[in-house]
Amino acid sequence: MKKITNRAVTLLLIAALIIAGLALYTIRYVDEGRDWALAFSRANSGSTGELSDRNGVLLASFDAVDNRYAADAATRIACYHVTGDYWGRSGSGALTWFWDDMHNYSLLTGTTHSSAMELKLNIDASLCRTAYEALDGQKGAILLMNYRSGELLCMVSSPSIDPLDNSEPPEGAFINRALAASFTPGSIFKLITAATAIETVPNMDGRSFYCEGEYEIAGVPIVCVGPHYTQNFEQALANSCNVAFAQIAIKAGQEHMVEHLRAYGFLDKHTLDGIPTAAGSYPLDFVGDPELGWSGIGQSTDLVNPYAMLRFVAAVANDGVLAEPHLIAGESGPFTRLIAEDTARQLAGMMNYNVVAGYGEERFPGLRLCAKTGTAELGDGTSHAWFTGFLADEAHPYAFVVLVERGGGGLSVASPIANTLLQAAVR
Amino acid sequence: MDELISNSLILSKSVLIILSLLIIARCLRSLLSERYEAETWAYLRLGQELLPVTHWENLIGRSRGADIRVDRARVSRVHAVLTRNARGQWAIYDIFSRGGVWINGIKLGPRGAVIEDGDQINLGGTRLRFQNLSADKGRQLAEKRTSAGHRVSPFGTLLELSVFQIFLLLQHALVGGEHLPMIALCFGALLALEWFCYSSMRLLDRSGFEIETLAFYLSSLGLSVAASSVPEDLFKQMLLTIAGVALFLLTGWWLRSLRRVTAVRTLAALAALGLLAVNIVFSEEILGARNWLSFGGYSFQPSEFVKVLYLYVGASTLDRLYRRQNLFSFMIFSAVCVIALALIGDFGTALVFFVCFLVMSFLRSGSIATVLLALTGAGMAGVLAVSVRPHIAQRFASWGHVWEDIYGAGYQQARAMSAAAAGGLFGKGAGAGWLKNVVAADTDMVFAVVCEEQGLIIALCMVLAVLALAFFAVRAARYGRSSYYAIAACGAMAMLMTQTALNIFGTMDLLPFTGVTFPFVSRGGSSLLSCWMLMAFLKGSDTRRGASFVVSPLRFDEEDAGGEQA
Repeated sequence: MKKITNRAVTLLLIAALIIAGLALYTIRYVDEGRDWALAFSRANSGSTGELSDRNGVLLASFDAVDNRYAADAATRIACYHVTGDYWGRSGSGALTWFWDDMHNYSLLTGTTHSSAMELKLNIDASLCRTAYEALDGQKGAILLMNYRSGELLCMVSSPSIDPLDNSEPPEGAFINRALAASFTPGSIFKLITAATAIETVPNMDGRSFYCEGEYEIAGVPIVCVGPHYTQNFEQALANSCNVAFAQIAIKAGQEHMVEHLRAYGFLDKHTLDGIPTAAGSYPLDFVGDPELGWSGIGQSTDLVNPYAMLRFVAAVANDGVLAEPHLIAGESGPFTRLIAEDTARQLAGMMNYNVVAGYGEERFPGLRLCAKTGTAELGDGTSHAWFTGFLADEAHPYAFVVLVERGGGGLSVASPIANTLLQAAVR
Repeated sequence: MDELISNSLILSKSVLIILSLLIIARCLRSLLSERYEAETWAYLRLGQELLPVTHWENLIGRSRGADIRVDRARVSRVHAVLTRNARGQWAIYDIFSRGGVWINGIKLGPRGAVIEDGDQINLGGTRLRFQNLSADKGRQLAEKRTSAGHRVSPFGTLLELSVFQIFLLLQHALVGGEHLPMIALCFGALLALEWFCYSSMRLLDRSGFEIETLAFYLSSLGLSVAASSVPEDLFKQMLLTIAGVALFLLTGWWLRSLRRVTAVRTLAALAALGLLAVNIVFSEEILGARNWLSFGGYSFQPSEFVKVLYLYVGASTLDRLYRRQNLFSFMIFSAVCVIALALIGDFGTALVFFVCFLVMSFLRSGSIATVLLALTGAGMAGVLAVSVRPHIAQRFASWGHVWEDIYGAGYQQARAMSAAAAGGLFGKGAGAGWLKNVVAADTDMVFAVVCEEQGLIIALCMVLAVLALAFFAVRAARYGRSSYYAIAACGAMAMLMTQTALNIFGTMDLLPFTGVTFPFVSRGGSSLLSCWMLMAFLKGSDTRRGASFVVSPLRFDEEDAGGEQA
């Protein structure tokens, strides 16, 4: 008997396999259960959902019968990267990322019915339309937020598509350039170099910089649009003087530059209400002075993500405290100090001086603008046109980033688009 | 009003989960933590030592695995088998020992010999004296054994199960519908049935009720699934449950006498082959498999009854195993069964049989070589099956990729997984899911239906209930009277666990979808009946004192016909 019955433990082997299988299933259930549950929930739970902008403009709605998008094509196209589509083709759409917010899924209770789930976004669809039209078919990205509250009012990426149009989409239409890509920053990077210098180089205000139009560091030339001759720190930023800022970056040192870039959030990935963004880049391994100089003016291997830039200028505008941007209405905070208060104030003043003394206020009628241009040389004769900044205006506390991919000069191409957007925003 | 309903739903969900966990825990504790004591039937005296004879079939030898270990020179590792027959007579067989066996100085021939109290047994020079127990002494020893159910009251567990069923009914009541009176009637009948079983057992002075409780627990989930998916067929399902319990009692009664059991084994084997043959010739094809037989409006699956017959034939007593040291006829019989099922196209059941065959042949022979050989053979046959049968090949192709083709090959599983996840940990409540509307949801994907309606926790409890029965089979095997019961119980649990694994992992896309039933829970007549009959085999291995109606109480009076009395 014993000889035979001892062999009964083989049953435990089968039992162990079942338990292992159940454990695997449970892990997958916790991990992917949301996707599984929502795959058929629309058709089978009879739930209906609505996605709308801050003014109640319908961006998408669905019920057991049909999937719908915004009524007019211009809104559908301009807001495509905000809305996404029912197939999840856009990497950043609300329909993809907030699907469960519209369905009430949780691990504990599974999907729960609710007669009509509504999700309101902070986005202003008409502002998005204005922004998209201002880009006029050029590739690029535009972001605008309220730097006091964190509400993201405008997010546009071009090229875009009409989700109801079944024709061949333009190349790269599914990439949200505002979140999912990083670009050579050019001179907007000088804001970061400036902030780093204010905090690490003693007596920045007392220093003066001399520019002959070109400057050699260890035999490598730094080319400038100048000559700007003698200038102080503030004038150097308004002139966007490469010679001065290459020297400033070298003075601050690579270690400090990296440390501050990291602190300002340029090297990390972020999430916008759960939607992931791309990280930027900067030379992290030791490089010599020439390379450090070039990287200090936003060339070299520098890459900046538009959304990270928005967070930075929003913090500068808000005395160094970042109100974390949110796409979903009602979400708020956290409020984190990104930059020292004095630094932020000084930089804000310099950005205002840029507009007043450099670009000309007449370009931005009625706006109390603080900004910085960027023209990022790509080495093939083309350049990214950047314009970023904010309104020093309590009634309209808006921070923005405008990027036109291979669009040309920051002041000539990007700043008029920013002006159009801001004029619409303050109206 | 809505709030009242939703509050009652939350309440009933939590009660169901707590009770499920309690019921399983109590049954597990009762089955596993109770004292299992060997029964003593006789003694062998070796010098001053008194060796107890604790089974009806005992292996005597020098081996550590021998039931009566005689560690002396010239005693073979396995030397002889000592058995007690149904009439209470003891017999001894020489199993090809080198030293030979002498009874009272006479050399034992190949047919063995009956021995009586005081007989001298000589194993290759080592002398033992056989001492049968007197009736008084036997009764005395039996009284000392711990009786079943003294640690965890079976009454309490059944009471918990009853509350569980009432709350399940309450959930159906919240959904409402025209079938509610019928659902209430069927749940009432189930309650009556289980309490009838319990009272009958008490009247027979039997106190082990864990196996039945677990089976009734699974049945109530099955009834709930049927109530939500096919309420119009619910009454039939209930009648089948009653029939299942009746067959359980009948099979159990039949298994009481080993003599009766072994007398008709050949007949059972022929019946199994006959059923399969009839199936091959007369069946109709449903969903790629021709495993259904129709008789004037009633259809049934012969393979489910072949399962019971297969166990009946495949289990064996120890003396038989050692006297004919080969698995040949059993392997042929198994191969015919598996091949017939493959011909029918019921690959899921073929696999269930195959795993059962592996477990039983390993129990019988202990030979890993045999198991490996069989596995290799089956592997090749499986490859052949996949290449010949297009719908099997398709299931293999979509295995692990169901989400890539949710309107084609992955149709059922993707929906099952979605619905299961939509239920969360606590479920949507009985009758409130949508998966029940998908084809075969209440049979092949019943695990997902339970996940959706009752939540993941209760679905896991459901699997745990099956595992609890298997743990018991392992635990009880050690104390069985005859290897027949131990092998049959283990074979039965191998079948049920394989079915469970194929059912749930097929649904979850961890294994190819084979479409076998989940024991007791899947809707279906034949499978329900066969599950109940398999439980009788499990009851046969429960030798705790006064636990099982299949195991007769110890009797030592010579006049009485041993295990015959019913």
